[in-house]
Amino acid sequence: MRLQGRSTLTCYGIILPTMVMLLTFVYLPVVWAFSKSFYAFEIGGASRFVGLGNYSEYLLEDPTFFPSLANMLLLTLFAVVVRLTVPLIVAKLIHSLPRERWRYVYRLVFLVPIVVPGVAVQLIWAGLIYSDSGLVNEFLRWLDLSHWTHGWLSDPRTALVCVAMVGFPFVGAFEVLIYYAGLSAIPQSVHEAAAIEGATGMRKFLQVDVPLVLSQLKLIAILTVIGSVQGFQSLIILTRGGPGFKTTVPGLWMYYNAFSFQRMGYACSIGVLLFLLILTLTILNLKYFKSSETVQGI
Amino acid sequence: MRMSRARLCAIHAALLTFAALTLLPFFFLVNNIFRTNAEFYHAFFSFPKAFDQAIRLTGRSLAGDEAPVEVEDDDGQTREVSKAEGIRHHLARAGQGPRRAWRIVRPYMINSLIVSGLTALGVILFGSTTAYILSRYRFLGHRAIFLLILSTMMFPGVLTLVPSFMLVTKMRLLNTYWVMVLPYVAGGQVFAIFVFKSFFDGLPEELFECARIDGAGHLHLYLSIVLPLSKPVIAVVLVMNVLGTWNGWLWPFITNPEGTHHVIASGLYVMATTSHASNFSTMFAAYAIASIPLLILFIYATKPFIRGMTSGALKA
Repeated sequence: MRLQGRSTLTCYGIILPTMVMLLTFVYLPVVWAFSKSFYAFEIGGASRFVGLGNYSEYLLEDPTFFPSLANMLLLTLFAVVVRLTVPLIVAKLIHSLPRERWRYVYRLVFLVPIVVPGVAVQLIWAGLIYSDSGLVNEFLRWLDLSHWTHGWLSDPRTALVCVAMVGFPFVGAFEVLIYYAGLSAIPQSVHEAAAIEGATGMRKFLQVDVPLVLSQLKLIAILTVIGSVQGFQSLIILTRGGPGFKTTVPGLWMYYNAFSFQRMGYACSIGVLLFLLILTLTILNLKYFKSSETVQGI
Repeated sequence: MRMSRARLCAIHAALLTFAALTLLPFFFLVNNIFRTNAEFYHAFFSFPKAFDQAIRLTGRSLAGDEAPVEVEDDDGQTREVSKAEGIRHHLARAGQGPRRAWRIVRPYMINSLIVSGLTALGVILFGSTTAYILSRYRFLGHRAIFLLILSTMMFPGVLTLVPSFMLVTKMRLLNTYWVMVLPYVAGGQVFAIFVFKSFFDGLPEELFECARIDGAGHLHLYLSIVLPLSKPVIAVVLVMNVLGTWNGWLWPFITNPEGTHHVIASGLYVMATTSHASNFSTMFAAYAIASIPLLILFIYATKPFIRGMTSGALKA
């Protein structure tokens, strides 16, 4: 409905709280992230303009830069691979069951872990799975392989792998539901046509199902990349970035600079760099991986 | 197309394996809620001894054995008691972890209920009203405003975490509920506006036209048409929002330096960094208690949620 005069004012009035909150708690911090990244300061302390000094220090002099970038890339790559495969296989298995009742039960079963807060899940993995007398070591002892037991998260050789393995077997409930929705949207006639062509089993899955859930795969891929590039909260719980810098990622280093070393401007500059990386990857994804149908965004 | 029995069995076997591996950590979690540290260290794969003994005593007393039994108290003293008393003693021992955990996490849980509740209320209220206006009315700048709202989605949390902290420090909001609720509502309403608006866009204009001809104002339209129709959308927004606010621990952790307003997620992290961490049954019981409210939410909201997720409440 087209409006003028007083009704327009009413409309502005109704959306005013939304806009005030967005400008205060989203746009102002975004502006500050950029502007404060050119200063060196502590909270409540005097600030000094350093130009691009924070950026050049991080990119050229910071000893964590290369190891943390490598860790982030490895963790991101691993996360993308497992989230594109395991939940899709599970969704396909559920979808191929003939009875709706079972399909519903399995979807529900994989949804159960969602109720456990993420912080608890990571504490469980640190304290119950990887700890000295945790599941992995006790299982090895039970197999009489005691000489293999060790501190999985404190050994520099295994720390990063173990961080990546948290959440095994990676059947994410949201991914399963999204892939399941994609598989359900494939018309029965497509499957019948494929069957007439003689496609069965694996070949049918790869050549019929996978291309038809491509938009869902892309969505999960980009969401996983965005999540992994800025994901550091689990590392605070699991390893604190150690041993050494073996599991440090740029986001974690930003957190420590802001909240442990009181280098707020330096932390802002790392945040800006991560944002630019995420922005570039998102644009690349939209530009080069566009299919005939529009990519569905959450 | 019919499926062979062997194939069906293979699919079930594969799915059950995935489910078992997924749920394995939680099984050990629940098991260790009722066990002592000594049991955790020395017999990782066995069931709680306290339950074991309680069941054995029940069996013996059912078999007619009236002889008193010996139980050991926390201070290491043993005493002779009747069978019923012995059973009660063992069950009480098993319940020690949960009781201790509940005493610690009760204030965190109350804070979480307040923060998540207020946030969900704000997100649904502001999200649905703004979406309703943007969806049903054309006025100067409506497109620009929608774009301004949507483009906040491209700013990741990692960009705004540090400056947001500087902002709430400057606003003197640290150690209050508002330091969590206000930014949560500001950020959470964007997704809600997006979902609500695509839902309202699909509603026929006649619905609103009729009511308007009858002289209904914004408030009337909102209460009598918009809200009743959008129940499935509200379910999706509510679940996604509560999931986020219930699970978020870093923001509550850094914005409550005095520890007065910790929510359950940040409270669990705080517990894990203090001496409570050395008491496994207490910690594990706290994780379980933290999961119960979301479990209840899911029992009520799963059906509309799964339906909403699969039927396209989330599609652009």
